[in-house]
Amino acid sequence: MELKRRDFLKVSSGAAGLFLLHPLSGLGKRPRAAADSSDMAMMVDVSKCVGCWWCYAACKQYNGLPNTVKPDPKQPPELTQDTWTTLVTPDAERFRKHACNHCTDAACVEVCPTGALYYHDLGFVAYDSSKCSGCGYCAEACPFGVPHLAGNKVTGISVMGKCTFCIDRVAAGQQTACSEACPNDAIKFGKRGELLQECSDRVNNIKADHPNAAVYGDKQLGGLHVLYVLDDKPSVYGLPENPEVPIAATVWQDVIQPIGWAAAALVVAGLGMNYLVARSRIKGDHE
Amino acid sequence: MIANLGSKIGQIAQRLFGSPPSPDEEQIERYPKQIRVLHWVTAATWVMLFITGLFLFVPQFGGGAVGGWSGLLHRIAAVVVVGWAIAYFMMKPKAAMEGILDAFKWGKEDLGWLMAAPYYYFFGQEEKMPPQGHMNTGQKIWWLTVLGAGALMVVTGALMWFFKGMISADAFLWASTFHSIGMAILLPFTILHVYLSVVHPKMRGIFWSMWGGMVSAKYAKSHHKKWYDEVKEG
Repeated sequence: MELKRRDFLKVSSGAAGLFLLHPLSGLGKRPRAAADSSDMAMMVDVSKCVGCWWCYAACKQYNGLPNTVKPDPKQPPELTQDTWTTLVTPDAERFRKHACNHCTDAACVEVCPTGALYYHDLGFVAYDSSKCSGCGYCAEACPFGVPHLAGNKVTGISVMGKCTFCIDRVAAGQQTACSEACPNDAIKFGKRGELLQECSDRVNNIKADHPNAAVYGDKQLGGLHVLYVLDDKPSVYGLPENPEVPIAATVWQDVIQPIGWAAAALVVAGLGMNYLVARSRIKGDHE
Repeated sequence: MIANLGSKIGQIAQRLFGSPPSPDEEQIERYPKQIRVLHWVTAATWVMLFITGLFLFVPQFGGGAVGGWSGLLHRIAAVVVVGWAIAYFMMKPKAAMEGILDAFKWGKEDLGWLMAAPYYYFFGQEEKMPPQGHMNTGQKIWWLTVLGAGALMVVTGALMWFFKGMISADAFLWASTFHSIGMAILLPFTILHVYLSVVHPKMRGIFWSMWGGMVSAKYAKSHHKKWYDEVKEG
């Protein structure tokens, strides 16, 4: 029996090529270990928010989204594909601005198959809607329930919408539309490290009247790029105490995909070897 | 001209898939027409499902999913193949049921087949191969895989399509995870299936049984002795 060197190379390079098609679990979409203090971020201070909805209106206006009427604070609108920021309220008196929290370890980026969601160099979770496939994985994976889709449920053709961190403004050195609009210093834009310091200062100032006051977003999911000054427990404002990237979101791309490719590559290599051996050993039944 | 083109295509097909059984030989029907149509509908839709699914599976191919058109084609292919399988079941419930149950009939000969298979498929040693029925052990494994992974794909796919928003986010993500697992199982087995029906020297030419439905009596006798005897006894 003779194994031709060329044949062997063909088989093994084919199998290797199939394996390399797997992108090593998505190059360029790895989260960093932790948020950087020079990242750009926003601070949201519930103790300063008066519920004026200017952030909501500014977001709608700047991003060209419909429905800019002032909403009813007793029934605040939910986030939708074209409502990227809103307020949540426990009692129609206290408000938390609710929008994408721009995680450092973002479940949505992990599951996005097309790269429409990605980490911006400045730390936030950027979104390019022209790359969206409408699969909706992000909407299911996000621990804050932020991404929303609009479209046809039967055909599956739809598109997601969420806060883009005003990427063009921020990249041009400006602040986000919502922080610019805030009349009461409840939303502040700046370097994450400096905002963190200001958050703890502000928490210390209200701690006497609000024993549950705390910073939120400093540690969660590698550090959020929206930092909260809360005067009460996170759950009061609809924030999970310990948000996590769902296990299924990581298993899918980090485990199943490489195993799938490896299995296919092994089969191709095995069959290639089988062919080389069988061809020289077996005289065909039908030829 | 057209006849010329036809014979040219025939020549190319024989180069690719091996020679069909000669018309002079005695032949036996192996696959009735409905089965062959179902097979090729399944094959075509599986290729379509594979390619459109790959756009979501491999980030480098993600561009193909933009706008959701691959998702729409994926859904159309899924409806065609599931609809066709159900239609076949309705038309031929008895044959379909028997065909499905065939995969679950395992005996001593299957163990023998598994032991002898490496010698057979690498070195062509036929002596140790126990006589096989209509489906040999390898085909039963393939058929079980298709049934099992196929059911997994239909269930998880339906969960993600029709029950989105009704099931919990975790349930959705696990459905998509198991959809990926199904694909990771089906892909290697499909490669194996195509290899054995088209490439392997011992099987060369058997492709045509799924095209015209017939195999030579010689092939039936050497590869599926029990089935051959059943056919001969009537």
